[in-house]
Amino acid sequence: MNRGESERDRLVLSIATEPLDALARDLVSSHGIAAVAGACRGESGSPHVPEAWVERVALAPVDQVLDAGAAARARWITPAHPAWPAALGDLAGVDDHGAAPWGVWVRGEGPLEVDRAVSVVGARSCTTYGAEVAGDLGADLADRGWTVVSGAAFGIDACAHRGALAVAGRTVAVLACGVDVPYPQAHATLLDRIAHEGWIIAEHPPGSVPHRHRFLTRNRLIAALGAGTVVVEAAPRSGSLNTLRWADRLGRSSMAVPGSVLSQQSGGAHRAVREGEAVLVTSADDVAQELDGLGWSDLGATETLTDDSRRLHATLPREGGVTVGELVVLLDASLRQVRAGLALLERRGHARRADGGWIALGPLPG
Amino acid sequence: MSGRVVSVTLDGLTGRAIEVEADIVGGLPRTVIVGLPDVTVNEARDRCKSAVVNSGAPWPDQRITINLAPSTLPKSGSHYDLAIAMAVIAAQKAVPAEALAGTAFVGELALDGRLRAVPGVLPATLAAAEAGCTHVVVPEVNVPEAELVDGIAVTGVRSLRHLVALMTGEEVPDDPPVPPIEPPAAAPWGSADRLSGLDLADVAGHEDVRLAVLVAAVGGHHLSMVGPPGVGKTMLAQRLPGLLPDLGRQDAIEVSAVHSVAGLLAPDVPLLTRPPFLDPHHTASAAAIVGGGSRQVRPGAMSLAHRGVLFLDEAPEFTVNVLEALRQPLESGRIVVARSARTVVYPARFQLVIAANPCPCGQAATLDSACRCTPAMRRRYGERISGPIRDRIDIRRTLTAPSRPELAATVAAGRRTVELAQRVLEARDRQGSRLAGTPWRTNADVPGTELRKAWPLAEEARVLLDRQLHADKLNPRSADRVLRLAWSVADLHGHDLPGGADVRTALSLRSDLPLDAAMRSLVAA
Repeated sequence: MNRGESERDRLVLSIATEPLDALARDLVSSHGIAAVAGACRGESGSPHVPEAWVERVALAPVDQVLDAGAAARARWITPAHPAWPAALGDLAGVDDHGAAPWGVWVRGEGPLEVDRAVSVVGARSCTTYGAEVAGDLGADLADRGWTVVSGAAFGIDACAHRGALAVAGRTVAVLACGVDVPYPQAHATLLDRIAHEGWIIAEHPPGSVPHRHRFLTRNRLIAALGAGTVVVEAAPRSGSLNTLRWADRLGRSSMAVPGSVLSQQSGGAHRAVREGEAVLVTSADDVAQELDGLGWSDLGATETLTDDSRRLHATLPREGGVTVGELVVLLDASLRQVRAGLALLERRGHARRADGGWIALGPLPG
Repeated sequence: MSGRVVSVTLDGLTGRAIEVEADIVGGLPRTVIVGLPDVTVNEARDRCKSAVVNSGAPWPDQRITINLAPSTLPKSGSHYDLAIAMAVIAAQKAVPAEALAGTAFVGELALDGRLRAVPGVLPATLAAAEAGCTHVVVPEVNVPEAELVDGIAVTGVRSLRHLVALMTGEEVPDDPPVPPIEPPAAAPWGSADRLSGLDLADVAGHEDVRLAVLVAAVGGHHLSMVGPPGVGKTMLAQRLPGLLPDLGRQDAIEVSAVHSVAGLLAPDVPLLTRPPFLDPHHTASAAAIVGGGSRQVRPGAMSLAHRGVLFLDEAPEFTVNVLEALRQPLESGRIVVARSARTVVYPARFQLVIAANPCPCGQAATLDSACRCTPAMRRRYGERISGPIRDRIDIRRTLTAPSRPELAATVAAGRRTVELAQRVLEARDRQGSRLAGTPWRTNADVPGTELRKAWPLAEEARVLLDRQLHADKLNPRSADRVLRLAWSVADLHGHDLPGGADVRTALSLRSDLPLDAAMRSLVAA
């Protein structure tokens, strides 16, 4: 069986079954992916699978789904793919059946950069305080070179994404629907921006609509992608606590930001801390320190200057200013690389806006 | 020979019609004014004589007694000139008596007979109309102001000759126009105009304070902001008037009348339709803020802010007597300026916005605090705003410097003032229809007892408030304040009755807690 076959087989499973379907995982462990996928396609001589699975695949044949993905500029990647985020593989060990996704759809330019990622989640109905904290946390973490992972929902999620985007940092939105489905609708612009400057990923085929249980299964991907998960505000029965528990089961660091003891929206976060499920953090510094303890050392001031940004600095004039568009042409780089590089140089005081463009300042250290 | 015409005297904003009588009798040529004139009124004698003579009318070489009745009422100001001159002319039967009937005269004369503009024409015209006058003669430049009053005919004149010609039916002389009063560039604290174009969306971050400003605008609640210098308190306060709806006709006339008396009304825009915004400097004297003055009693900032916003920046730096003078207007909506000779009442129903630093150095509230003020210093500083005044402030917010100020705008973009002003207008409409037939306009005006009696709360909200009362977290008066705030929150959300969530939001607004998502969605773009 070649790799192509397996990628298509895994795609079939993602179409036919819901992510944590126990029967599907049992069948796969006893018969193998190819056989179960074949059964879903209605091929004879394979294990018996529920009618509904076959119907789903019949309604959405693999080629059609791949076309839809291509139309949405999304790619289907599986564990065999070089860009596969290894962190997702950790999910295979948490349950008897394994909880790893069959594969994920990725929308966004370039390879997914989640080697150093932190998940920031919290209440949809967050307070003004939570919104501010989440925005700051997203920006500060992205500034330190972390990829900010969240769920693009209202409230904390959106604030965390926006914070990361504001400093031209990296951010990943994990959706409970297809990567091309703008959900929530009000976040259509935000999602487009994330797809443009970061990545959107989902394990459901393009066009899939969100269901209640898909949010819960989606949470395991958010928890797995981050080296740690930070809950900013969560009411006692919030779904974000579910993400926190997944992080815990995965051996990731689980953290919570405190709020007012009078605020209902922080009740869940406070309980998580009290019951030892989460470590209390108040800033990106705390998060970095916490992850340090797990071997994720934070990048120092000079180390964060990437080769891209050094090349960019060398290209920038000392006066006169060149625009971002000109830099893209000069460096033959993507818009996102240029923007991120400029933002980094600006924060470190090595570049600034001038004369309608950008100029370099001072020599680079190291 | 005697003549009699009507003029108006102003006592604060309330004017009353007075009679100006002139009697010409034999004797040594001399003119006396009786009826408690002050120096300005006494000098009218000489102005009037020159003006009359220079207008081509005779000034009798006899004893002229001019009486301003009622004679026990002190008279002040130069606007009696026109009436005195007309009384003298009428005494000589130089104008038909019927032309004078039911007409009030207001204006200052120049020596050559030209008229000069005077302050206070709007309240004077109102008083004349109330006293039953059907016609008022004012300096031409004051006509737009006088015309704001319904039910009274207004004639603007350029000179005494002009007026006499109109009354006798002769050809009207071609006199030069009357120059306006000193332009209101003299307005010490500016008008609402300079705030136009300020947008609440320009304030980066501070979502909860933007919400506080919004709720304050809805219900007319007083607002206090405490935070380190440069954090945006002034920016936020300056954006409150932009959210307030236009003044109603009655309010606009009241506000314009105060500005007219203060001589701050521009002749081309006589009617102020936008709520005024006054931000006196903390070094201002008590007279400048409360009203008063040694010779002429003028309205102060508190009255000029009537139906608008009074913003005290650096509030603890104001002198104690200024701060304490806030008590009366906050309670009664008016201010009484008592002098030995007279007592003047000015309206002063303003919305108070207070900004203060947390301590004398201002750094106490910051995370990486460089503040070296002792706890005692901080307490003393806070207590400069006395308890009774603090207690009347419904909404209190502490501002902290955003940790990433350069990002605030991109992370949390805000709704624009135009959108929010529309929400405020809708919420005000709700209040308007609910409070129709009552003397109150906004939630902040309604007494707590009435509020509880006329519009009882739903069970959940009531229990919530009662629990706060029983736990001694609120006293009965502050519970009323929370209730009023809850109504404003409900009006903002379009709820018919405040629910539990609205009461919780009101409690958060009052006790400086974070605001919930339903509120956030109001200002977050």
